[in-house]
Amino acid sequence: MPEFKGRPGSAGQRPTGGDKAVATQKKAYFRRKKVCRFCVEKIDDINYKDMKLLHSFVAERGKIVPRRISGVCAPHQRRLTDAIKKARNIALLPFAAAF
Amino acid sequence: MRIYEELFIAKPDAPDEEVDAFIEQMKTSVSNAGGTVDKVEKWGKRKLAYKVDRYREGAYVLFQFSAGPETVKEFERRLRVSDLVIKFLTVRIDETLKRLDKRKKERDKRAHRKSIASPAAPPPSVAQQMMGEPASAPAMPGLPKEA
Repeated sequence: MPEFKGRPGSAGQRPTGGDKAVATQKKAYFRRKKVCRFCVEKIDDINYKDMKLLHSFVAERGKIVPRRISGVCAPHQRRLTDAIKKARNIALLPFAAAF
Repeated sequence: MRIYEELFIAKPDAPDEEVDAFIEQMKTSVSNAGGTVDKVEKWGKRKLAYKVDRYREGAYVLFQFSAGPETVKEFERRLRVSDLVIKFLTVRIDETLKRLDKRKKERDKRAHRKSIASPAAPPPSVAQQMMGEPASAPAMPGLPKEA
């Protein structure tokens, strides 16, 4: 899961991303540019039965991963949320995962 | 006529024949009401994400049928009454299918257009950008440009 790395303090480091890293002009730290997986892979159908797909957008405790972390675009996040909630309703995904 | 998807969970300890019989029963009830059953899928026993009526697993069955809204009401009522079913979910999918179809058509069209146009049109524009780049690059020394 892509995370926020590279605080201004750790300026010289370049955590992830390779050629996709973007340089901001003033603070010279790098962040991997996030892209919407559904746009890139051209997934039109976000189905509530597609467990493999949904699992990658659900955190360990069963929460939906926010857009700012996963990089999913707004229209797709809307459909994704819908699908995850349906899946929860029919016990394919947990509302809250037990430990 | 609308297309619906009905996913329900049968009790895991129910015998297979009983589930099959129930599926048949539901099929006839849909066709009697003037609908058509397009697809019935048995997923088999799966672990549930949480306990439902003290069950940790369940036998998932997926129905896809096209019928009017009244039929679905009746279908749901039957599921609710049945002792066999512990949980169900109804999703109307005809509009989703339509949307997906449209998207797919658009994609195909675009791909088709690209395959026709690409040998001729795009290369000059890319070349122009490349030509224009050396002039603008020194103005922004902070941005590392790709070679």
